[in-house]
Amino acid sequence: MSRIFNSMRDGKGFDLILVGAAMVFLLALAGLPLVYNVVMSFQQVDMFTLGSLVRPFAGFANYVAVVQQPEFWLVTKNTLIFVFASMAGQFIIGFALALFFAQNFPGASTIRGLFLVSWVMPGLVVGGIWSFILAGDYGVLNAILKGLGLTQATIFWKSDPNFSLWAVVIANIWLGLAFNMLLLSVGLAAIPRDLYEAAELDGANAFQRFWTITLPMMRSTIGAVLSLGLIGTLQQFDLFPALTEGGPANTSNVAGYWAWQMSFQLYDFAKGATISVMMFVLVLFASVVYVRSTRHEVRG
Amino acid sequence: MTTQIELSHIDKHYGVFHALKDVSLSIEKGSFVALVGPSGCGKSTLLRSIAGLETITSGTLKIAGETMTGVPPRKRDVAMVFQSYALYPHMTVEENLTYSLRLHGVNKAEARQKAAEVAATTGLSALLKRYPRELSGGQRQRVAMGRAIIRNPKAFLFDEPLSNLDAALRVHMRKEIRTLHDRLGATSVYVTHDQIEAMTMADHVVVMRDGVIEQQGSPLELYDHPISKFVAGFIGSPAMNFVPGTIGADSRSVNLEINGSLSLPLNRTLDTGRKVIVGLRPEHLVVADPGMATLRLPVAVVESTGSMTYVTTNTTPELTVVETRRMNIRAGDSVDLTIAPEHVHLFDPTTEQAI
Ligand SMILES: Nc1ncnc2c1ncn2[C@@H]1O[C@H](COP(=O)(O)OP(=O)(O)OP(=O)(O)O)[C@@H](O)[C@H]1O
Ligand SMILES: [Mg+2]
Repeated sequence: MSRIFNSMRDGKGFDLILVGAAMVFLLALAGLPLVYNVVMSFQQVDMFTLGSLVRPFAGFANYVAVVQQPEFWLVTKNTLIFVFASMAGQFIIGFALALFFAQNFPGASTIRGLFLVSWVMPGLVVGGIWSFILAGDYGVLNAILKGLGLTQATIFWKSDPNFSLWAVVIANIWLGLAFNMLLLSVGLAAIPRDLYEAAELDGANAFQRFWTITLPMMRSTIGAVLSLGLIGTLQQFDLFPALTEGGPANTSNVAGYWAWQMSFQLYDFAKGATISVMMFVLVLFASVVYVRSTRHEVRG
Repeated sequence: MTTQIELSHIDKHYGVFHALKDVSLSIEKGSFVALVGPSGCGKSTLLRSIAGLETITSGTLKIAGETMTGVPPRKRDVAMVFQSYALYPHMTVEENLTYSLRLHGVNKAEARQKAAEVAATTGLSALLKRYPRELSGGQRQRVAMGRAIIRNPKAFLFDEPLSNLDAALRVHMRKEIRTLHDRLGATSVYVTHDQIEAMTMADHVVVMRDGVIEQQGSPLELYDHPISKFVAGFIGSPAMNFVPGTIGADSRSVNLEINGSLSLPLNRTLDTGRKVIVGLRPEHLVVADPGMATLRLPVAVVESTGSMTYVTTNTTPELTVVETRRMNIRAGDSVDLTIAPEHVHLFDPTTEQAI
């Protein structure tokens, strides 16, 4: 008895308790809902069976039905564009800003800190602000574009099928920018200064130093930023109700918002669950790629 | 002999802090110059100014006859070995060595060929495929050296390259660097705060203090004729003993203010009653027979390393004496010391300059 108690105080038992607590937490709050979701995607769900766990097995019927939805391919295309364009924008502009603020001019760290505002703000609020900026008749963006002479016509960002998706992309880039910049700044700061000095003496110009020192040394940071960016973008929800509600005619609808519409507007929970499982598989795939890419990490 | 690096009236300010003050130095082609001085005296700043990693506030710097004002480090054709080695952690030893060649468009086969040659001279042949994190401190040091050698630069700049190694390896690498320097016919500037390193490796030693060059010359010149108390105390190990004193009535002796009053003969004439600081090197103080001794002092500590005996006297200020003979002296005994008049250094107590 006292052996067990001792091992719980310091020994294997203690380790098990610590790991166990975390595992219980994870299983209850992430594992169970996930499993429930997957199970639901293989079941027939309607209003009457909503409350019960055991429902008629549906096989892949839900998956077939989702793919056969007329808007499926449009939403898939939108999701890919949304994810790719948002991540590219967040990453490239974030990296540029991180490099800019790494230059140590007076006030650099203060101004960098101010960028956090975008990260702290709730997505719905950001969506609200961008809704004003992007408004067709009184929006600031249109006023600027017209003032600069870039366009004559009034662009209805949120209701023009050609622009509606991009309206959300722009807002999402702004929302994720600070997070990207911050993580990349930390990665940049971790590269020892004397490496750059050595490279400079070895004859590398600024571009070569970036290409041969900065990028390879940032590999794991970049991997983390991109995978977190992918997850964050796929999970992005708040901006859609605030800006376009997926419309017009699903031209700005993406998988995450579509799943929500299925479940909570059309009450087709089986299809909603199915779409989430499909997204989950995609994220899982990306995570595996990321984990594999950091396995050979080099940091001296 | 041509001048390879020429510094004239260099000043460097960090904001309000004046790090280098009117530094002028001319470094001969093929010479090995050591910059020594206590921590914070501006050695690294001077070296980094030569490399172009720091911009000088005023003055001119020439490398191989060309003025370097506004020339970026990568166009100066100098190589630097950093104290931290600054190896590229994501590259193998071979890639580290060939980095500069690849940047300059040398083709792969030729670069590998050169890397193999350099690896052979630095003893790295078996390690070419390893990453820096898989090397010992000494091996990393060699990679840093190899990376500098492979470029055949106009000058090598070393910033305390051996300070992260253990004592035995340091002594070994000291010789190796000097041999390499001679073989390559290179021009080297070597920063160290270890005066023994400077004395043993360099042809020309530059002693710095608070951003100023205090004295420069060959190692023996600095040892024999230090121009100030600072240089005298810095060069030589163990450090020179300093005792306050007054010139005696005959003008050719000095009375030491130690353990009462004891007198030492001088080899020159000075004004009677003048206050001085007397500098006595431990290795110049000789334990003598009682009859011919000039100083009789009580002993505090006797330490022997087998080949050397270190005697510390029980006086204020205490004196250190180094003898190569074995001594039959113990703590509490008295010891009789002499010193040849030509070995007595005198310094002015206010200016601290040599008299
Ligand atoms: N970037 C900087 N900004 C302000 N002051 C600096 C800077 N770099 C160096 N200094 C100051 O300049 C002086 C000389 O520095 P330096 O690094 O050349 O010393 P050092 O002789 O190499 O010393 P050590 O033996 O400790 O390396 C120091 O007092 C230091 O505080
Ligand atoms: Mg230094």
